[in-house]
Amino acid sequence: MAQLHRPGSLDEAVELLSGLDNAMVYGGGTAIQILIKQGILFADHFVDLATVPGLREVTADDRGVTVGPMVSIRRMETAAPPLAADAYRHVANPRVRNTASVGGNLAHGDYRLDPPTALLVLDAVVLATSAGGTREIPVREFFTDFQETALEPGELVSGVRIPNQDASAGYHFEKNSSLGENDWPCASAAVLLDDRTVHIGLGAVAPVPVYVTADIAGLDDQGAVDAAIAAVEPVLDPIPDVRGGAEYKRRLARVTVEDAVRRAWKDRDHG
Amino acid sequence: MGDQVGRSRPRFDLPGRVRGLVSHVGDQPVGTAAHVALHRSTAPHARIGEVHVDEALAMPGVYAVVTGLDLYKQLGDRILTGPAFADQPGLAHEKVRYVGEPVAAVLAADLKTARAAADAVWVDYEELPPVYDLRDALDGDAYVHDELRPSSVFGDLKHLRGVRDTNVNYEYNLRHGDAAAARDAGAATVTGEFWAPPTHHVPIELPCTIAWVDAGRLEMLTTTQTPSYVRQTVSDLLDLPLSRVRITTKPLGGSFGAKMYDRLEPLAAALAWTTGRTVRLVASREESFLLTTRHGAGVTSSMTADADGNLVSAIADVRYDTGAYADVGPRITAKSGMVASGPYRIANASVRSRCVYTNKPSAGPFRGFGVPQVTWSHESLIDELAHRLGADPVEFRRRHLLREGDEAPMGTTMHSADFVGCLDAVANAIGWDQPIERGDGRVKRGRGVAVGVKAVLTPTIANAVLQMNQDASATLLISTVDMGQGSDTIMAQIAADVLCLDSARIHVVRADTDATPYDTITAGSRSTYHTGNAVRKVAEAMRTKLIGFAAQHFGADDVTLDADGLHHGDAHVTIPELIHGHFGARGATVTAEANYTTEWVPYDKETGRSEKATEHWFAGAVGVQLTVDTATGRVHLEHLAVAGDVGKAINPKLVEQQLSGAAIMGIGHALFDQLVLDQGQVINGTLLDYQLPSIKDLPDKLTPIIVESPHATGPFGAKGVGETGILGIAPAIANAVRDALGVRITTLPLTPESIVAALERSDPWTLEEK
Repeated sequence: MAQLHRPGSLDEAVELLSGLDNAMVYGGGTAIQILIKQGILFADHFVDLATVPGLREVTADDRGVTVGPMVSIRRMETAAPPLAADAYRHVANPRVRNTASVGGNLAHGDYRLDPPTALLVLDAVVLATSAGGTREIPVREFFTDFQETALEPGELVSGVRIPNQDASAGYHFEKNSSLGENDWPCASAAVLLDDRTVHIGLGAVAPVPVYVTADIAGLDDQGAVDAAIAAVEPVLDPIPDVRGGAEYKRRLARVTVEDAVRRAWKDRDHG
Repeated sequence: MGDQVGRSRPRFDLPGRVRGLVSHVGDQPVGTAAHVALHRSTAPHARIGEVHVDEALAMPGVYAVVTGLDLYKQLGDRILTGPAFADQPGLAHEKVRYVGEPVAAVLAADLKTARAAADAVWVDYEELPPVYDLRDALDGDAYVHDELRPSSVFGDLKHLRGVRDTNVNYEYNLRHGDAAAARDAGAATVTGEFWAPPTHHVPIELPCTIAWVDAGRLEMLTTTQTPSYVRQTVSDLLDLPLSRVRITTKPLGGSFGAKMYDRLEPLAAALAWTTGRTVRLVASREESFLLTTRHGAGVTSSMTADADGNLVSAIADVRYDTGAYADVGPRITAKSGMVASGPYRIANASVRSRCVYTNKPSAGPFRGFGVPQVTWSHESLIDELAHRLGADPVEFRRRHLLREGDEAPMGTTMHSADFVGCLDAVANAIGWDQPIERGDGRVKRGRGVAVGVKAVLTPTIANAVLQMNQDASATLLISTVDMGQGSDTIMAQIAADVLCLDSARIHVVRADTDATPYDTITAGSRSTYHTGNAVRKVAEAMRTKLIGFAAQHFGADDVTLDADGLHHGDAHVTIPELIHGHFGARGATVTAEANYTTEWVPYDKETGRSEKATEHWFAGAVGVQLTVDTATGRVHLEHLAVAGDVGKAINPKLVEQQLSGAAIMGIGHALFDQLVLDQGQVINGTLLDYQLPSIKDLPDKLTPIIVESPHATGPFGAKGVGETGILGIAPAIANAVRDALGVRITTLPLTPESIVAALERSDPWTLEEK
């Protein structure tokens, strides 16, 4: 049975993480508890960040907002820039959002999660801390492979910095499930759109969350939609499962991107 | 008579259920029990070789590891149990027949240790050719069971004993007229291949059984809808007289058929008896998916009209996939087969309904008892036939629906089954006659209806014992299990009404076979009618006793009972005064008992018809208005109306809740709820992947409608309602999708993917036209 450690500082936490055999960071625990129950998580030690001071802080400055790893998903609905706030608002249900943490959500690295789509678009930076210090990882380089992130052994997510969102840009987060309405998404898209470029963060339609852009200078809304769909087409690589075959998931991805771009377009013009 | 029947009094357990103050079996402290974990088969079909238990046995905290062979050596063929066929061993001992079948049980000091030790057991298998689906089962030459083993419960299965080389354990045939000739002579025929997949019940409360030996008796506290059945099964299994077996229950946290007949109980009894320990078995959420399922069913069927639009022929070939063990599948096969042509006047009908073994988790009872699967067929067919004939689907059904006194194609007469009233009610509710805004472009709107018919389980037996306490409160002893449907509440209302009491003064004792009398089962919507009648009769017997006491008291025969007590002319005595005076003691009790038993006429061997196949009928209808997003294929339900003829609503609020609850469950089955298997392996058996309707999947508007066509012999005219609402949900939704998009889908569930695929087919019709 795994042993639970409750460090009193970040230094102590990263020391435990690097010193212990087969250790894992325990944040909000919403994903870990499910994996434990299913018998598919085999950590020997959990380093619980709940008692580490300073990890629940939200600091805003004129460039953006820096968020501690133990800030709840729920709090991000109001603390994050509007596009990210929308994505955080769509995570699971209020009980989960009150418990799940910003850091854990990123480190989980699941391709279907909602917040990464917006963080990709906003060019957020993940702060990764180990016994050797802290480094910055652009979130666009963070998701490396199926359920894998750029975190090295001994590193934990110690924060995320989200730049301010261009206030004149239109934005929209769109999420579609294919079975129960409350199920995991089958396709999701975060879209930010200014006069020249549409930025798109895609969830659930490839083994990792994906970021693409398209040039829309001089195009009308239909042109922007066409450009966006053309841009996402090459990165669509859905995993067929009980939620749909690859063909259907591709189709739903295109519909999701189209709807998100159209709403972002309206938001830019009328927002 | 009192005023208790027909009132929507709140169910007595409402605050407790909401706040978690009602205790369930799993909450019961068990002291130094042995916690049991099961080692499960990894092969769908294999002969069991050596079962290696040494490593598990050596783990600290492990008390014992029991294999199927161990149990077989002690109990012999008695280890095989089941309601229709004695085919299911508590632990597999010769063959395993599905992935996940229990092969060995680990008894340990705690559940965690037991589960770790169960993982340390390993088994040598000699793989056999697997039977994955109905096609393998019916066309192949691999057999799940070497020979059929009918149980002693149903006498009419005796002739199947020892039959070999088949996966069909039961076949029901209905022959009424010459359906094939009438089809060939008819003017318009629609034909379809329908499929309804296996699903799981997913009650909130997980199954849990605690069994122990006390003074040479086997006692058990378990989550079961069928305490009387379990008592008999344990008695047979352990070769004990019924008096040495005690089955008790607590309120169930939902069930829907998941907790009846042989689930954890035979194994728990065998382990407690053979080891002498108190044992506690609880299914994890993932394990509960393996315990029992709704039957996946294929139906190949047709419906034919003549040139005047009369229904002249209905033909159906129905195959129920019952998995590795028959459970009650043979009963489902017959009861559903006999209504496979629907609630219509049809001159000629032919049905072949088969119950088929495969190497999958066993299928058993599930709200609707197999009828939703055939309703899926007949309500799609008649809808399509109406479209073909240019007729309005509501009008066309209304024209052909069975009326009071009509004989159904299966030979039994209709009474208290107001199909027309139900259909009209839902059509009216959704504005069927109002113009519909079809929608242009991406989102299309449509409406659909469906009608359902189901027979109540017959014959069955109900008993009730009532104790009137001296203070004019009463204690009612019945073996009906309250699993959230509110049976305790309405039984109290029935008894209270007869005795002119406030129903809140009647306590219903939870099922305990040491105290509460035999009751066939709490299932199949039978309790309101059957147990309700026993309760009505026992209350009448009590009233007669009280009036007798009062006659002695007054010295006169002319006595009446009302809410104030007993009267003779101007003379008056309260119940507390009467009983106190009669026995000379405060707190004295008066006891009465009653029985209510229904009879049936077995199906004719040649025709499958019966003049009385059922004590009464359930009639229901569903109307839906929905939109479909043609880009995503997603269905959005705007309004769903569900009507059921309940004879008389004992408690209208509880009836509405049953109709709405059944409708919500049916919405899941219609749109996304299914158990997905790949090569015999359940691949979505967790709540992460298994799809249930959430609050977000509900219709914008859900309208339950009570229709009351009183039953001549129902208590106050009442019948049950637990299943009525679910029967027509899926076809009503599919019919509305057909109305919106012009495409007919015959495979459930109607996932967005399947709707998009249907839209993109070059030929949108899957039903053949003549």
